[in-house]
Amino acid sequence: MFSAEARPLLHSAAWRISAWAALAYALGTLIVFVSLHLYVASDIERRDDAWLTGEVEVLGDVAERTPKGALYQRVVEEVAELASHEVPNRVAGESAPKDAVFFLETDTQGKLVIWVGPGKSDPFLDQLRPSHAGNDAPFTIQTMGFSLPYRVVRTHIDDGSTIYLGLSDRDQLRVLHMFRLRFALLWGLLVLFGFAIVFATTRRMLGRVLSISEAAARIDQNDLSARVPASLRKDEIGQLAQTLNRMLDRIEAAMHQLHTITGALAHDLRSPLTAVRGNLELSLTAAEGATRQEAIIVCMEELDRLVDFLNTALDVAEAKADALRLNREPIELDQMLRSMAELYEPSMNERGLTLRLECTEPIQITGDLALLHRLFANLLNNEMVHLSTGHAVTMRLWREGQLVRFSMEDNGAGFAADVLERVFEQRVRGAGSKGHGLGLAFVDAVARAHGGTVHAANGRSGGARILFTLPAQSGQGTD
Amino acid sequence: MRILLVEDDIPIQEFLKPALEEAGFPVDLAGDGKTAEQLSAAGNYDALILDLGLPDMDGIDLIGRLRAAGQQAPVLILSARRSTDDRVRGLEQGGDDYLTKPFALAELIARLRNLLKRSGAALNDSTRLRVADLELDLLRRQASRCGQLLQLTQQEFALLEYLSRNAGRVVTRSMILEDVWGMRFQPDTNVVDVHIYRLRGKVDGKGQAPLIKTLRGVGYVLGGS
Repeated sequence: MFSAEARPLLHSAAWRISAWAALAYALGTLIVFVSLHLYVASDIERRDDAWLTGEVEVLGDVAERTPKGALYQRVVEEVAELASHEVPNRVAGESAPKDAVFFLETDTQGKLVIWVGPGKSDPFLDQLRPSHAGNDAPFTIQTMGFSLPYRVVRTHIDDGSTIYLGLSDRDQLRVLHMFRLRFALLWGLLVLFGFAIVFATTRRMLGRVLSISEAAARIDQNDLSARVPASLRKDEIGQLAQTLNRMLDRIEAAMHQLHTITGALAHDLRSPLTAVRGNLELSLTAAEGATRQEAIIVCMEELDRLVDFLNTALDVAEAKADALRLNREPIELDQMLRSMAELYEPSMNERGLTLRLECTEPIQITGDLALLHRLFANLLNNEMVHLSTGHAVTMRLWREGQLVRFSMEDNGAGFAADVLERVFEQRVRGAGSKGHGLGLAFVDAVARAHGGTVHAANGRSGGARILFTLPAQSGQGTD
Repeated sequence: MRILLVEDDIPIQEFLKPALEEAGFPVDLAGDGKTAEQLSAAGNYDALILDLGLPDMDGIDLIGRLRAAGQQAPVLILSARRSTDDRVRGLEQGGDDYLTKPFALAELIARLRNLLKRSGAALNDSTRLRVADLELDLLRRQASRCGQLLQLTQQEFALLEYLSRNAGRVVTRSMILEDVWGMRFQPDTNVVDVHIYRLRGKVDGKGQAPLIKTLRGVGYVLGGS
């Protein structure tokens, strides 16, 4: 019974649930049975009483009409005998047992006149005499020598004698006994059946949960491609499986992205480090002073690039983890953009690009000045790197209700379709891009840290368009 | 003139101490917070250079303790932490300037000079600056070379003024960006270089000795040897 396999079964939730359900079911049906039993018992008694009352009236009638004489006893005895054949609740086909009914007539003094019934009349007479004075309602007597009680009805006839008709409770008790027996049998079967059904369903349900948890346990760091079994059913367990699978999708995507990032990161770190090492070696071995100096300068430039890359990567990582802490201060955004434009315009002109800023009103926001500087520097750098000679970049800054909007649009070739969708993801860069693929991810991160949004699209003229929206927190009158 | 350098990292100690001494600042070294407190109490320092990542205590706390102990010399904070939050906290606790590792040596020395100037005599508020044959009129915001007026934009004048104030000393691109444009970031393109080239085109005419020199990998220097 308590084998290694039985133990988990007895400890399973399905077992507990079905046990409790079966218990509740058993109690419920038991209450129903008890009330049914009470009803049936009282109904049988009422029917018996009605029969007894009817028969005793007939007998009284016969006794009254039959003249007292030699024939009297025979007539009454026969009628009583006949009546005993019509005993209610009798099993069909079974001959009436001799002790089912008794008939008794006493005269005015209470002395026996006629006795039709099992055995001697004395024990019955002893039982009936004390109740002699009572009314005519049916009553029950327990007679010496008989295990079963009798239900008795009496009637008085005109000559002062009393007629008693008694009916043994045996048939009634037998009916009730059969009733209880059948119920016990059926009850047992029903409870067992109920238990089995509940057990089977919960076991199946929980089996699905178990298989989900087992499948989830199998999914580990190395293999995230596995999924928990998801049925097409839209029930709670189906939902659980779907939720888990969606979560796994996200985790897998994130892991995949992480792998891509670390791979690219290694590449991005390796190449400048190789250059630094190589140039340092060259500076050690080179005979010529100028070569040596050049090698060291290249090292410094490579290291500067590395530091910049590292800073941006950390910023993006912090922003993704919502850990980018802002040092908020009021910023005249229009003035800031103007000086950014002044700073970048000469470099852009060198590359044959033009830069224009359109802004008609002073716009103030609260934000992190250093991060915003880097954000706009990133956007402008992108334009310089990606836009070919002869194109124009237009920056616009305007207010729209509680929002401050900034757009940067060029009339170049625009974003490539495959890049456009994922342009704000880390390490996504256009074909042939020499950037580290963090620029727009950084822009997105800073915008979000400021409670704003960034959208990238291709403008009507086909050029790239970046729309940057920030809440204007320093609006007049608000806090 | 004496500097207290609080830094636990040996390689950084090894290049900072000789570099600072070569620039004319004798240096005492403290490898941890305890030593720094003792030296600060005993010696008379004109400036402190303090690394935030110390083995025995948090650098920002150390600044507070040094200030509480009566140390008034300016403190230049070095840190590997880049967050603006740390910068603000460090400056609030009594630091005077903040430099993130890795830094250019030229920038460290320039900032240190700035701190010493700031804490010492008031800035020479002459209205004229002169470097070799270059002259800047700070009131009219005009510059001339060999008596010839240079056609400079406001931005170019500001840049030239900054270079002139630091004449003979190296300034890095990020120093220029921060002090002239008020922006604190490392530009990964040559935006500053283009401004310098344009300025050089106007300042260093044909046949004249070039005043604005480029130190590749480091920055620029105006005049000097």
